[in-house]
Amino acid sequence: MLKTAFHASVAATALFVAGSALADVTVYTAGPEKLIADLAAGFTAETGTKVEFFQATTGNVMARIEAEAANPVVDVLISASWDTATDFAARGWLEPYTSPNAEMVPDFLKTDTAVAQGVAALAIAWNPNSGTPRPTEWADLAKPEFKDLVNLPDPAKSGSAFELVAALSAGGDMAMFDSLSANGAIVAGANADALNPVLQGAKAAVFGAVDYIALNGQAKGESIEVIFPESGTVIAPRPVMIMEWSQNQDEAKAFVDYMLSDAGQAIVAAQNLMPARTDVAADRALIADLKILPIDAAGVYGKRAETLEAFSKAFAQ
Amino acid sequence: MTVRSQSCLKPCPGGAENLHLRVTLSAYGGGIGTRGDPLSARTKSDKAICAKDLTLNYGTTQILRGIDVALPSGQTLALLGPSGCGKTTLLRLVAGLLAPTTGEIAIHGQLVAGPSVFVPPEKRQLGMVFQDYALWPHLTVAGNVAFPLEMAGVGRAEREARVTAALDRVGLAAMAARSPSALSGGQQQRVAIARAIVAEPRIVLFDEPLSNLDRELRETMVAELGALIRGLGLTAIYVTHDQSEALTLADQVAVMDSGQIAQLASPEHLVEQPASAKVAEFLRLGAVLRLSRDAKGWACAGHDLGPLGGPQSAAADVLITPRALRRIDVDAAALTGEVLAAQFRDTGYAVTVRLDGAAADARAGTAGTGQTVQISSDTRLRIGERVGLQILPDRLRWFPAP
Amino acid sequence: MARTVERVSPSVIIAAAGLALVVAVPFVFIILQAIFPELGRGSLAAPFSALAGALGDPALIGMTGNTLLLGVLVVGLSALIGVPLAVARALFKVPGAVVWDLMFLIPFMIPPYIAVLGWIMALQPRGYLEQLVGVNLASFLFSVPGIVVIMTLNSFPVVYFAVSRTLETVGSRYADVARVFGASPARAFWRVTLPLSTPGLAASLLLVFAMAIEEYGTPAALGARAGFDVLVTAIDLRVSDWPIDLPGAAILSLVLVALSFGAFLMQRWILSRRSYEATTGKPQGSPKRDLGLWKWPVLLAFGLVAFVATGLPLLAILAGALSKTISGGLVWSNLGFSNFAAILGDTTGALKALGTSLSLGVATALVTGLLGALSAYAVVKSKVRGRGVIDVLTILPNALPGIVVAVGLILAWNQPWLPVTPYNTALILLLAYCCILLPQPVRYATAAFHQIGDNLEAAARVSGASSLTAFRRILLPLIAPSLLAAMLLVFAVASRELVASVVVAPVGVSTISTYIWRQFEQGSVGLGMAMAFVTILITTALPLIVLSLMGRRGNLL
Repeated sequence: MLKTAFHASVAATALFVAGSALADVTVYTAGPEKLIADLAAGFTAETGTKVEFFQATTGNVMARIEAEAANPVVDVLISASWDTATDFAARGWLEPYTSPNAEMVPDFLKTDTAVAQGVAALAIAWNPNSGTPRPTEWADLAKPEFKDLVNLPDPAKSGSAFELVAALSAGGDMAMFDSLSANGAIVAGANADALNPVLQGAKAAVFGAVDYIALNGQAKGESIEVIFPESGTVIAPRPVMIMEWSQNQDEAKAFVDYMLSDAGQAIVAAQNLMPARTDVAADRALIADLKILPIDAAGVYGKRAETLEAFSKAFAQ
Repeated sequence: MTVRSQSCLKPCPGGAENLHLRVTLSAYGGGIGTRGDPLSARTKSDKAICAKDLTLNYGTTQILRGIDVALPSGQTLALLGPSGCGKTTLLRLVAGLLAPTTGEIAIHGQLVAGPSVFVPPEKRQLGMVFQDYALWPHLTVAGNVAFPLEMAGVGRAEREARVTAALDRVGLAAMAARSPSALSGGQQQRVAIARAIVAEPRIVLFDEPLSNLDRELRETMVAELGALIRGLGLTAIYVTHDQSEALTLADQVAVMDSGQIAQLASPEHLVEQPASAKVAEFLRLGAVLRLSRDAKGWACAGHDLGPLGGPQSAAADVLITPRALRRIDVDAAALTGEVLAAQFRDTGYAVTVRLDGAAADARAGTAGTGQTVQISSDTRLRIGERVGLQILPDRLRWFPAP
Repeated sequence: MARTVERVSPSVIIAAAGLALVVAVPFVFIILQAIFPELGRGSLAAPFSALAGALGDPALIGMTGNTLLLGVLVVGLSALIGVPLAVARALFKVPGAVVWDLMFLIPFMIPPYIAVLGWIMALQPRGYLEQLVGVNLASFLFSVPGIVVIMTLNSFPVVYFAVSRTLETVGSRYADVARVFGASPARAFWRVTLPLSTPGLAASLLLVFAMAIEEYGTPAALGARAGFDVLVTAIDLRVSDWPIDLPGAAILSLVLVALSFGAFLMQRWILSRRSYEATTGKPQGSPKRDLGLWKWPVLLAFGLVAFVATGLPLLAILAGALSKTISGGLVWSNLGFSNFAAILGDTTGALKALGTSLSLGVATALVTGLLGALSAYAVVKSKVRGRGVIDVLTILPNALPGIVVAVGLILAWNQPWLPVTPYNTALILLLAYCCILLPQPVRYATAAFHQIGDNLEAAARVSGASSLTAFRRILLPLIAPSLLAAMLLVFAVASRELVASVVVAPVGVSTISTYIWRQFEQGSVGLGMAMAFVTILITTALPLIVLSLMGRRGNLL
């Protein structure tokens, strides 16, 4: 029995070690798995360069990079929060690169060290079967028809939700959230945790749902509608960064180029994300169709702790 | 360890030069305990087992305190003593199941435990029988017995033949395929004995092998074991707390007390000349009385016993065996008592008599009052009956009072 | 005179080396991380600078109190449910006993994060319960009692199996003696039988406590809404909220370890106060008694608990898996096998994830089984000095949150000076699972070793077997039944471990749990539930098949 166990573990070891030789490009991404899988497959088919990826939430990706800091592994990072790009650039962790394919990416979606792969926007995700009137504005969700029927993603767990809170509480005015709270809205974990109860009908709407997840659900036949309030919303561009420690700079740059190519942007659009390039079409509302609330990133993130505390105070009772 | 027992020192390869050689050998590995060890040939000795100055401490508790034993080949040594005296510990040291704190053990002239030397049990080529049988429940009877042969690398065919032979010897050949748990206690212990002898070890260790069996079976098994040990010419160490087993089986008996050997002697010598009152008491040879000398001779608990011989000291302990007492008429007796109990034995009645004590005798407060002696009687005595006793001085054994 | 040096048994050396590798290395790095905030960047600057901040957090006392409260309540409720059922199972003829055992085994196989999602989907407004019978229990579910009940339903089987097996060993022999001396049946049970089963009870309660304070899924999903923060959720926040606070997470983990260690010491103290030798003897089959009039009430209790703990979550998971859309609800037109088809058709990488997790599960079971047996041997049978350290190392992972183990492993194995490293291979997952699950086989093997007389090994040694041979030929076969049960459990749990997997999974490797979790993240709840259901089926069926092949059906725990 001992011997069998030994042989089995040796065999297993050999299998595992052989199976996970480091790839030519290692990508850490907080985006949807299908997106990175399709991008990786497309890139490999075009260039022959292998792509290995690690996909998790922004938080888990960051925890891994932090723990690995002594001996980093990642070549290309795709975050779900633009804040990461700002922060990592300040730390000097990013390799400056401007892809030739980034020409059609609007300026506010690129810097020297980062470029958006795609863009998500926040919206009201409303279940038409919920028996509530169709909301059109953020404030509608604080009306009595939505009493106890609204979920908010936790801004502490979702970068885009935080930006929405910051944008809607400009100048520290939490009135919107006070009224939501008074109307029985609750803070329900990260994005998916907020959306699922709405799908089942336990809640009627998500205040600040990530649009592409809801749109994907809609495509599958879920009873969910994505509404962008006319007063404006925030967008969550997904920055792509090349790490300065990467030993595979050329391959990493080629991968970034591919993501911003026609083929790459089409794959982004297929996930119901807005392509970063304005010249690529998608079967959904695009950046130009939305009113974007202005955000002073430096100022907003500088006050992150205070904003989060004020927010949780509004919902603590 | 200032005073060393000399009897065993020479045959034991424990001196400084040997020690040096031993360390060198063990550093090369493989030399210890293999049959071709040149050292064992060089220091060939007729002592099968030799233990010198053995001590074992658990923390500050001393389990063994300076044990010296030497056992010639082909002899049986019984370790006899009450629970907790260290006899099983000593056996486990010989087996290699424990390592001594200090001291040395040699088996057939080969050092197996000593400073920086420790030969593990599997390299000592011993057989052992345990009090709880220690049969492996997941193996059949034959599987249990075959195990030592497997470990020795004996081929299948020879193994089967030898297992059958060993089981035959203990009368259990028919049970080979059974599970040990399906056997009775006596049968289980026979399997354990077969397992201990199947590999033909030179030395077999017995750890209270019969104490879990009932008396009748025990007596049969003692006889069987004796025949087996003699028949195979085994060297054996036999741990027991039953003095009749020890006296029946052993060539030498070591009576142990509080981690020391109180006396090491042949059974005859032990019975005739116990070294101390304690040994005599443990062997249940008879009653040990504390006597004091006065003008008329010796006295016990206020009774004058007359000049019985003995040492010229003011006080002494004396062993009074049943053979040293004769029943006489109560009125004529200096020593009288009352029958406490009478037990039937094959040869008659063993009678316990409580001696009459003088409560006034302050010094005898402990020794005199309630002191009992054993006598043998052909007739049954009633409980409470008064008897008179006469002491036969030439059958007494004296010990200096502590 | 020099001491005779008895060589330390190789088994003990292997155990110590294995424990050092699997448990001590990540744990040491967690401690180092707590002391040196810059450790992740390879710097030992500013030692102890993070301590004040993390320990001075005013919320810490509240979270620690909540954690303790949760642990104690789950332990209490688990005992309340588990002990009576165990007593009935052990001492009386309960009809269908094997079926009940199986039913109570399944909660182990349901990943906690799936179970809680199942509960939410069943009990929330317009959930399955409301769709079927028109009521919802949302206000109960999202409350502290709700959290306690849900967690208890996952953990009471630990108590049930431990106590029923101990009681079966003790049997009614000793109670019978008490009755001869005039005790009523109830008094004999309370005064004799129950106290004699203390070791099993105490060990299982300790385990439940450690599981409860370490669990992430349920408090995270239900507690946030109840305003009930515990240490684990705070630790998770520190490692998932930018800027990442690894030192803070490490320090809070050490608080958690301290709590668990306290419980461990208490268990030791309880067990050391008197002897429970009776339970270490040979098990003697004592005939079980008829329930008589109590048959139907007892059956009802078993049925009710089995339905609530196993039936409801399974049904909720199945409902989610069969629903084409979540918003479609439980109507015939919305039900179908499309989610299962997607998994079996492997359009989503599900089969690869299944293969990875199942092989990791098998490997983890083998490694922890072997290491657990050796460690238990070192603790119970050897007289090695320092075996107390081995003992502590084997229970330490009980108190380490999975995510902290993962971070410790990365810190330890991603050092640039290491010539070879398991990091970024599937081996790192194996190490993580082994660390997290080691306590299970150790617990089973320890109990088994306690029942094996010392002389069985001594006899083998004297018969010429080396220490390792004696272990392999004599001791291992004797503890095999218990060890196998533990290994099957490890297999099931390792196959679906989530929290550590999410963080340390090597690039390009997907496990069952990360697959399910990604489906949830991307809104494909049905696909995730289908995968969960397939996993539960496999992890329940495989052990049962193994056991029935070995002729030991129904004796899993």
